[in-house]
Amino acid sequence: MIKKSVSYTLFAIFMAASLVLSGCAGKVATQVAGGDTPPMPPTTFPATNVPATTVPEKKVATLIFTQEFDNLSPLYSDMWFVWTTWQMFDHWAWEFDSNNEPFPVLVTEIPSVANGGVNADGTVITMHLRKDIKWSDNVPMTAEDFIFTWQMAVSPQNTVSTTYPYDVISTVEAPDPQTVVVTFSEPFAPWLANLWHGILPAHILSPIYQADGTIDNAEWIKKPTVGCGPYNFAEWETASFARFVRNDNYWGTPAKIDEIFIRFVPDDASQTAALKAGDADMGTFIAYSDVPGLQDAGLKIVIEPSGYNEFMFFTLNPEKNNPALQDVRVRKAIALAINRDGINTDLHFGLTKTPASFWDALPYYNNPALSPYPFDPAQAKSLLDAAGWIDSDGDGIRDKDGVKLEISHATTIREDRQDVQAVMQQDLADVGIKLDVNPVDDTLFFASYADNGPAARGEFDIQEWSDGPLFPDPDIYYWLCDQIPTDASPVGDNWFYICDEQLDSLIKLQSTQVDPIARQATISQINQLFYDKVYIIGMWQDPDVYALGSRLQNVKFSGVTMFYNIAEWDLVP
Amino acid sequence: MTRYIIRRLLQGIPLLFIISVVLFALMMSVGDPVATMGGRRVTRADDYERLKRQLGLDKPIYVQYIYWLAGNTWTKTDLNGDGIAETPGKRLGILRGDFGISLVDRMPVMQVIGERIPNTLILMLAGELIVILGALIVGVYSAIRQYSVLDHVLTALSFIGYSMPIFFIALISMFVFSVLFKKWGLPYLPTVGMFDPQAGKTITQVIYHMILPVISMSVVSLASYSRYIRSTMLDVLNQDYIRTARSKGLPRRSVIFVHALKNASLPIATIVGLDLPFLLGGAVVTERIFAWPGMGRLFLDHVNRADTPVVMGSLMLVAVAVIIFQIITDVVYAWLDPRIRYD
Repeated sequence: MIKKSVSYTLFAIFMAASLVLSGCAGKVATQVAGGDTPPMPPTTFPATNVPATTVPEKKVATLIFTQEFDNLSPLYSDMWFVWTTWQMFDHWAWEFDSNNEPFPVLVTEIPSVANGGVNADGTVITMHLRKDIKWSDNVPMTAEDFIFTWQMAVSPQNTVSTTYPYDVISTVEAPDPQTVVVTFSEPFAPWLANLWHGILPAHILSPIYQADGTIDNAEWIKKPTVGCGPYNFAEWETASFARFVRNDNYWGTPAKIDEIFIRFVPDDASQTAALKAGDADMGTFIAYSDVPGLQDAGLKIVIEPSGYNEFMFFTLNPEKNNPALQDVRVRKAIALAINRDGINTDLHFGLTKTPASFWDALPYYNNPALSPYPFDPAQAKSLLDAAGWIDSDGDGIRDKDGVKLEISHATTIREDRQDVQAVMQQDLADVGIKLDVNPVDDTLFFASYADNGPAARGEFDIQEWSDGPLFPDPDIYYWLCDQIPTDASPVGDNWFYICDEQLDSLIKLQSTQVDPIARQATISQINQLFYDKVYIIGMWQDPDVYALGSRLQNVKFSGVTMFYNIAEWDLVP
Repeated sequence: MTRYIIRRLLQGIPLLFIISVVLFALMMSVGDPVATMGGRRVTRADDYERLKRQLGLDKPIYVQYIYWLAGNTWTKTDLNGDGIAETPGKRLGILRGDFGISLVDRMPVMQVIGERIPNTLILMLAGELIVILGALIVGVYSAIRQYSVLDHVLTALSFIGYSMPIFFIALISMFVFSVLFKKWGLPYLPTVGMFDPQAGKTITQVIYHMILPVISMSVVSLASYSRYIRSTMLDVLNQDYIRTARSKGLPRRSVIFVHALKNASLPIATIVGLDLPFLLGGAVVTERIFAWPGMGRLFLDHVNRADTPVVMGSLMLVAVAVIIFQIITDVVYAWLDPRIRYD
């Protein structure tokens, strides 16, 4: 039995407590904020009471991630948000700067034919490790760590996210503790961009592998307490935050910031609110629509090419897709009919441009540079007329031999893609093409051929997603003839069902060309072929977009090793 | 009563089995967890086939279900893809307490869930407590003071609160108590998370971060529960035995809280009993908006990644809780109303 007075009292106490706690926590919130914190007044001491030493205020930065890591291991995840953290506590053998140019980190120099690090036919790579590198527990890093990393990547007992490119290596040997010799059975041109993305500590994980037969359940996969980067992993509160502290045993230049928090928020709106409130120093994957508001709030927006671009890929299976697309004039008409520059200006606030090439972010391989097909509905109509597609029944949709020019288009349910689908429908309708749009959840869309994945089965005439070469390497493999999946061989990445003998031979050739000049020439031919035959239509660049608070200084980004200079980052009041 | 409880528990076993089969079949249709493991890029075909094999996803659905249920220690699997099953299975199955490994985190499912349950219980129990206490206060007052000015005001507020979707209440409260209050220079409430990482996970921090999510969750339920209580109280207050109790000269408080409320609580006990097991499921919308690291957010995140083991673990936990709390509700019902017998 509850007396009325008691219940009223309890209710009043609860309301009062809420208000009191609000007042107390307001102070906590403002301590975290960056630019809103008023400067501390100068403090002076009487001469007799001057302290011998003063403890400087700790520099603590907060970064926002809109997706939580699955884990923190270089082998077990391909998430962007995981890759990005590696430079905090681990290192690649060589990393890439803000121009996406490689520079040595764990090695004394990047192997090349000139310095003898790469043999003449490109099948043997010899790496010389720096002698001063040690793990955060003071154990030196040696060639054994590299051999162990390779072994773990290709072990069938480990459910690593990808075995590439370690599965194309024949052997990894260590003639001495500071030398690693990698041997391929065939020349492997993409080695520089794809090898040694983070090294595993053999002295930590090898005993676990010996005992369990796998490192899947090793605590290090989730909590890499031993690393070789400028920061050490400290803690990870699931669905809340992760914390990294400066590695005082770091073999390189010590980091300037003492601690870095990574806070996980569920969506862009939460991230934007936190950035505007000054509760975070950096945001990631900023939505284009949020950019103006963030700039008005005093944040700096940094756009870094990632190698990815949004493309429409034509699916040319003659048994399944619209026969109209077999005619290059129709494909070209579609490219001319869509106002892609308008989409980039209106929907992306002019922050992105239309890519003309699959290698748009690699100018060296986009040479000579191609220009995107312009927005020219009149020319599109002429091409369709010339191809025999006319509107014979006056319904606004062109037809030929009784077949309507109705094209099916599919992409994921991401909001910006759905917005663009609506624009494309109208643009194509204006030239007499009906576009059937099909947004599909990505776990369904990208399912395999064996699982009846619609993209893998080439169910739609045009399929759209963000993709690119194996950046910063120009390598591609999608359009190989032997990659077309079939019932007999459901494994294959050529979801476009394009078997172009010339394209096929050029793709195979470039992957074996270790001479960059020769490779550039081959890629240029592929580029021109894509352009002339309109196998793909570039929609927009898909860079990494960051928002930086005013406290954060010296920040540079790379499109490959994103936080490559994190040790140089600094915080100012 | 004991026999009744045992009988209900035994009846729950085939029910759980049927629930698990239906849920497992539904999860197989949600999507392909391996399809998006390539991160920003489509998973390479070779890696796709390997991961399907290593994670046991290449097996027929009924085999996958049997492994989930009973484990696979009695068989061997082909991990290296040479067509020869040489590796003994390591899974024990849910019947032996092994809920499996998360396809996303690669952690034991019970560990993944175990990290979130306390966070959810903190939020949901606080919300439920506020709802029950608040609804009792409002409902009883409204019934006693029927058609008074305050009753009309409370009625109007109840309808408004009941009509608003939770996400709307959450966003409005966030905008008012966080954004506007900060703008006006007033003490303001935090918008995301369970605590400030730099301040640490203290009781004060957690309570402080709970305020907005609890308010958001409580408004709709408080509105509806208070209407239930008002309605049942009005019904009971007009009964003859209440008139008898008054005419006997019993104190007003005794009439209302001993004789009337106890009888009016029977429907409420049912509703609360139905609600309690779903506390474990968390509040998906609220946890998402406020980034509260609870079961609701876990469920949403892992359904989006088609992580069958974690989703099945969460749903089976709720199913077991429903069965147990249904039994508890029946027991409480019998306690509240001595006329009810189950044997």
